Amino acid sequence: MEKYLRDRTAIAVFILPTLLLFTIVVFNPILQTFYRSMFEWDGLSEAQFIFFDNFTRLFQDRLFYDSMYNGLLFAAVLVVLQIGIGTFLVLAVTDSAIKYRKFLRISYFIPVVLSITVACQLWLSVYNGEYGLLNKFFETLGISYRQDWLNSEKGAIFAIAVVNAWQYMGYHFAILLAAVKSIPEQYFEAARIDGAGKVRAHLSITLPLLVEAYRFCFVLAITGGLNAFANMFIMTGGGPGTATYTLTYMMYRSAFRVNEFGYGCASATMLVVQCLIATIIINKLFGRESVTY
Amino acid sequence: MRVIRKKKKQHIFLQFFLWVYAFISLYPLIWMVFYSLKNNDEIFVTNPYGFPVHFRIENYITAWSRYNVPVYFFNSLLVAVVTVIGTITLAVMFSYAVARMRWKLKDTARIYVMIGMFIPVQVIMIPLAILVRDFGLTNTYFALFIPYIAFNLAFSTAIFYGFFRTIPFELEESGCIDGASIYKTFFSIILPIVKPAIATVVIFIFLSSWNEFTMALILISKESLKTLPLGLLFFQGEFTTDWGAMGAAMTIASVPTILIYMLFSEQVENALTVGASVKG
Repeated sequence: MEKYLRDRTAIAVFILPTLLLFTIVVFNPILQTFYRSMFEWDGLSEAQFIFFDNFTRLFQDRLFYDSMYNGLLFAAVLVVLQIGIGTFLVLAVTDSAIKYRKFLRISYFIPVVLSITVACQLWLSVYNGEYGLLNKFFETLGISYRQDWLNSEKGAIFAIAVVNAWQYMGYHFAILLAAVKSIPEQYFEAARIDGAGKVRAHLSITLPLLVEAYRFCFVLAITGGLNAFANMFIMTGGGPGTATYTLTYMMYRSAFRVNEFGYGCASATMLVVQCLIATIIINKLFGRESVTY
Repeated sequence: MRVIRKKKKQHIFLQFFLWVYAFISLYPLIWMVFYSLKNNDEIFVTNPYGFPVHFRIENYITAWSRYNVPVYFFNSLLVAVVTVIGTITLAVMFSYAVARMRWKLKDTARIYVMIGMFIPVQVIMIPLAILVRDFGLTNTYFALFIPYIAFNLAFSTAIFYGFFRTIPFELEESGCIDGASIYKTFFSIILPIVKPAIATVVIFIFLSSWNEFTMALILISKESLKTLPLGLLFFQGEFTTDWGAMGAAMTIASVPTILIYMLFSEQVENALTVGASVKG
């Protein structure tokens, strides 16, 4: 048995393909991103080592700050809409008297399984200035609120964030619902016996026990917001002007539009730093210790 | 009495909120399916919201025959299936060696691969594009197969590792006593047992590679290799005048994943949210 589980050839056969593939395609590129951020390089000719010049340039680039600000706005919208609405829906749906619970769950989750292109194209038609559902809707209500949602400097980033929030709210809903379900029934019984109302019981029992799930939801929503790319790529192309740029978008443009690979890698490096800081802050705020029943 | 009335009010309010959000969540999709069956006149003027009066199936025929939808559809399917098979083959072997076999650096190896779960694809996009170019894989199917498999390894390994830790060691002992080789034991005893975990991973990988957008955008530019998320993107220009056909193409692209979700709704929710417990 010992010999059997220590068979070196077998171990090599089992692990080498995975290790090799992971190292070449995932791990090495991470290091490359950091390393290349210190070069001036167009991706083809000889790269030139320029140390931290890309970062100095980045810190003087207005677009960098705008992109970062947009990422934070995007993240804030996701937190409020996805986690906020998700929490409320989960608490409401666990109420034992609600009918058609299965139908409700399915309708919240369906947008999650759509392709992001479909979600964005669909909302492009919803937002369409002339024929879009939203403007038609205001028209029908008799409110003159017609506007070109995605062409407004200030509003476009929110309009895009709403699409992402709409699509992935169900994901947060499912995570929180699973966490609520894992809370033992006795806890609620005890609260009921103590005379706590439903709201009170949720506030003092359910929510505190969801810390772990919330920690994950916040990391997901905030890093998701900072990383946002596909939504703006499909819906606005970063515009109007540069109003919906994010760091990822900036990186994409540097590398694949104007062939500044080094500068793009510097943006990517800053993205990693931001996501790390965000994750560390969230972990601090939520505490690392997990609840066991 | 008052308490009951207050409860009732609260209850009605909750119900109302739940149904309103269900409407917000579903209606845009229903609207899409509706307009895929209308012509422009109906979409823009006569019947923008409601059920289509004449079912204009020809929109689907247009989307399917005149544009590249069948090609995109086939590519998405091929890429998803190959990614599923490739990832599972590698991840099951790796996590078996890491969870059950005895060697020195097994924990280091496991943690190393799991780092992958915390890497957003955006961060490695540039070196990945160059890597694919340098290996001469640009505009081949392998430009998608290989990165997709590599990226799904971390998550799948985590799931299988968790699963392998829960099954008793007597299983290998019986194989050992029967004189079977470790490979034989692996295929005939271990694999059948790990099936439930495989189901979860299949659903997760299939959905995520069917819908993957960012890597495909960077790595594929040839029309005949585009997957649905990429192909539909460029419909925008061609179809702006024909909303019906655009709606039809989007509906076609969504049917497989929605169907999978409808059939296995609970497994899909578990598969997609299991990352929460693995990463946490």
